[in-house]
Amino acid sequence: MAVKGLDIFKLSPKTNCKECGCPTCMAFCMKVAQGALQIEQCPHMSDEAKALLSDATAPAMKTIKIGAGDKEITLGGETVLYRHEKTFVSHNVFAVPVCTCMDAATVDAKLADMAKIDYERIGEREFVETIMVHGEDGKATELADLAKKADAAGRVVIIDTTDVACAKAAVEAIKASKPVLVGANKDNFADMNAIATEAGIALGVCGASIEEIYDTVKALEDAGNKNLIIDVTGADVKETLKNAVLVRRTAIKDGDRSFGYPSIVKVAKLAKGDLHLQTAYASLFTLKYGSIIVMENMTMAEALPLYGLRQNIYTDPQKPMKVEPGIYPLNGAGPEDPVMLTVDFALTYFLVTGEIERSKVPVNLVITDASGMSVLTAWAAGKFSSSTVKKTFDELDVAGKINNRTLIIPGKVAVMKGEIADKLPDWNVVVGTREAVEIVKYLKDAEYDKAAKAAAAQKAEAPQEKKEVVDENAPLDFDKIAASIPEIKVVDMGVSYKKRNVESQKFVTIGERIHCISPTIKAAMDNMDPEPILKRAAEQIAAGATYLDVNIGPAESNGPELMTWAVKLLQENFNNVPLALDTANKKAIEAGIKVYNRENGKPIVNSADAGSRIDNINLAAANDAICIALCSADGIAKDNEERMAHCHKMLDLGMSLGMESDDLWFDPLFLVVKGMQDKQMDVLNAIKMFADEGLKSTGGLSNNSNGAPKEVRPIMDSALVAMAMMQGLTSAIVNPCDKRLMETIKSCDIFKNNELYSDSYLDM
Amino acid sequence: MAFEPKLQAFNSSVNAVTLGTGDKAITIGGQNVMPFYTFDNAVENTQKIGLEILDDENAVENAKKAESMEGVSFICLHFASADPNGADTSVEDCVALAKAVSEASPLPLVIMGCKAVEKDAELFNKISEALEGKNILVLSAREENYKQVGAGAGLAYGQKVGAESAVDINLAKQLNTMLSQLGVDDKTIVMNAGSAAAGYGYEYVASTLDRIRAAALQQGDAQLAQPIITPISTETMGVKESIMTEEELPEWGSLDERIIEMEITTAAAALTGGSDAVIMRHPEAIKTVAAMIAALN
Repeated sequence: MAVKGLDIFKLSPKTNCKECGCPTCMAFCMKVAQGALQIEQCPHMSDEAKALLSDATAPAMKTIKIGAGDKEITLGGETVLYRHEKTFVSHNVFAVPVCTCMDAATVDAKLADMAKIDYERIGEREFVETIMVHGEDGKATELADLAKKADAAGRVVIIDTTDVACAKAAVEAIKASKPVLVGANKDNFADMNAIATEAGIALGVCGASIEEIYDTVKALEDAGNKNLIIDVTGADVKETLKNAVLVRRTAIKDGDRSFGYPSIVKVAKLAKGDLHLQTAYASLFTLKYGSIIVMENMTMAEALPLYGLRQNIYTDPQKPMKVEPGIYPLNGAGPEDPVMLTVDFALTYFLVTGEIERSKVPVNLVITDASGMSVLTAWAAGKFSSSTVKKTFDELDVAGKINNRTLIIPGKVAVMKGEIADKLPDWNVVVGTREAVEIVKYLKDAEYDKAAKAAAAQKAEAPQEKKEVVDENAPLDFDKIAASIPEIKVVDMGVSYKKRNVESQKFVTIGERIHCISPTIKAAMDNMDPEPILKRAAEQIAAGATYLDVNIGPAESNGPELMTWAVKLLQENFNNVPLALDTANKKAIEAGIKVYNRENGKPIVNSADAGSRIDNINLAAANDAICIALCSADGIAKDNEERMAHCHKMLDLGMSLGMESDDLWFDPLFLVVKGMQDKQMDVLNAIKMFADEGLKSTGGLSNNSNGAPKEVRPIMDSALVAMAMMQGLTSAIVNPCDKRLMETIKSCDIFKNNELYSDSYLDM
Repeated sequence: MAFEPKLQAFNSSVNAVTLGTGDKAITIGGQNVMPFYTFDNAVENTQKIGLEILDDENAVENAKKAESMEGVSFICLHFASADPNGADTSVEDCVALAKAVSEASPLPLVIMGCKAVEKDAELFNKISEALEGKNILVLSAREENYKQVGAGAGLAYGQKVGAESAVDINLAKQLNTMLSQLGVDDKTIVMNAGSAAAGYGYEYVASTLDRIRAAALQQGDAQLAQPIITPISTETMGVKESIMTEEELPEWGSLDERIIEMEITTAAAALTGGSDAVIMRHPEAIKTVAAMIAALN
């Protein structure tokens, strides 16, 4: 496992002297971790630090590779005992055994049965990855032949013998395929070590007790072999679980690397021919630290739940399981059956397919790419929009494959109906149910059919005037946009925005209340009705907001017009209040900036990320704007290593485009306490890392208290903002009408010496 | 240097809760180690398995058989038909059946509702009244009806109260807290922290169980120290593996085997994660999981 950049950073001089050629120590350390630079290129790193580094960063558990070429399997490399602490890394594999004691027909039958298990589940091939060949003592030739046969079956072979002559013959026969040799014990380890080392393969260590195994591992390590696997199989399942747990716990929790190796568990031996009991044990060791689980056999009935469980357990808790976009015909659906649409989040997929299957109504389920997010989350993040749906329909050629023109969209995104209908004019778009549990009734009652007919009839009645084909890459015609929006009237709202010193170090609050997710604001934006928007702006300015965020949603049909109108409306009414332009629609941002007045601060582009939205940094650079840079790509960063990698990727891009580093405001992504309590300190530490590099930061701070009782939220938000400001947070996207929060921010600005104290500092 | 295992028994334990009365009463919980970690410290009460019995015309007959079924320690009478959106069996009829089942078997009784919060509250309270003194467990009080269920089944009739949350440790803790604020003794609550079939979002269940046990044992969090009961068959019987017939999917083989293996895999995983009791349906699966529990204790 690679050395971590953050671990190196802890030992670095942290002076940002730039002598190594990197802008900051952090950037240097990240590059060292990636192997792009050598630690020696830092002239100030102490020898002591260099020595510490090699010890401190050695992984607790080794990653062991078995098999060769495209059959290579990675085992181990685990860093935690429980998946919620971070994630499990290398999923367990299964093995079936054959033996020199079996006749050829039995072996062939076992291998043939094994090969029947080969299917795909959510993008993963499920099959028996390894074959264990067991040799009786003295049967060297037979074992070598059996090993060859197993090797020919196209699986990684585990040679299971304690007889040195057998081991030698079998390894020799198939060493090019990099089998595993299991069977080093206290008596034979020197010879077995020689065989394994010579062939360059992993060696499995067994013994009568965990203490004996430990001693053998130590002896092998002393002999220089650290390419090991530990056979934890004991006399019974109770002893085996004890061994499996103690081995892993000793390595990970107690830091004793002599037990930091993957394991092999011979479940077949423990279940003594009871095949159902073998399933129960396989489930147990899938959860508890089995790396290779040897089964007597593998049937479909066993494979389906066991591989499903494995796939669940080894899912990264920060990265949701995704299903492949595609057309999934359910209940025998054909081209004449309707289309239902949902996202690629695996849980959504399972819920929706389960309910559709229960309805028995033939439906073509179309899964669209939404970065593995649920329907609403994906919609809010711009990952599930009429454009992404259109793209999916084009790529999958849905219209070519399905003749029925009924398209049922999830009820939760009913707002997308019009936009999807515009993008897919041949389809009769119908809004389906909000919840999966309602699907059975909905489909059985064929409600969609009525709605589709109504939609078709409506289209027939008022045939849509042929819309101009819009070239999405065409430059914007700013004059035309300006002429198309309603005239801006200045209304006295009793509030004015006080001229702001753009050099001030004071904490920058970005008011979040002008957001199209609010029905009032959505309606106002749909009709370009100024009053509700001005009202919310006035409230936030009166409450002390520095910037106002303007979220117009994806606004696919009129983004440039809507943003132009909103910017002019707000700035002309409120003394050029500075704004954050918040939409996935780039043209809208471009149009907004065109009419933006910079008197009180540059415009903010909200937001770029290190994934699909990274080109918003180009947009900000081209327009001399500030850019909020989300330290995530697709999904939340799993740790600060990844957050900082995203940060530097965006920083590098921004600098290469000539931006000032001050104009990139890094957002660590505040996480909700209810659900991600154990990640809160990570977020706060990320802010400290930004600050240590002299970078600015911001974020949707109040996300932390989402779902908490209304009266508790201001308390949580205030506590968090104080902690975050201590760490160096320079801005936050907040509800400025939250008085407690704003007072906390003002007080922290006093302590940070950003504002000179006076008795009435709260009234400023 | 020889290997010396560092054992990990905690100062805090899971609450022990007794269900039923007489010789057949069972106690779950009480341990101060992670599930099946008997090498860290001895565990007094082994995990228990309940037989799910549906509220159909065979319920009483099935209840009679339960006692002699290998591995079954309690009965879970599931009032699926009480659902107002389904057959809407009346509360009176449910009470009558619960009494008949209770009389037919000496095993501890768990009453599982129909998930309609209002109907369940009424059902639990009426059955609790009718079976006062039988020390039953009602499954379960939820966020929406915990006040009625806690006050009725728990406080008025002295039964054990299940506290159900949907795979969310924060909600689980909140519900336990609310029940104890209501006056329900912590030591009479059993948690149902949510369930899922293996392969169907089970990772959330696995991590919720891990975290609950870590909170109870490591942090000594009294509001998460309740033992855990996990319904298995209600989840596994709904997934494709347990529904599609062999005619529909010949390559998947015997449906009965698939039902059994799905139930075994899921139950074994739940027990490994921290469930102190599981509710199952298939006799062969129950026998197998009971053998696993016995072998690990």
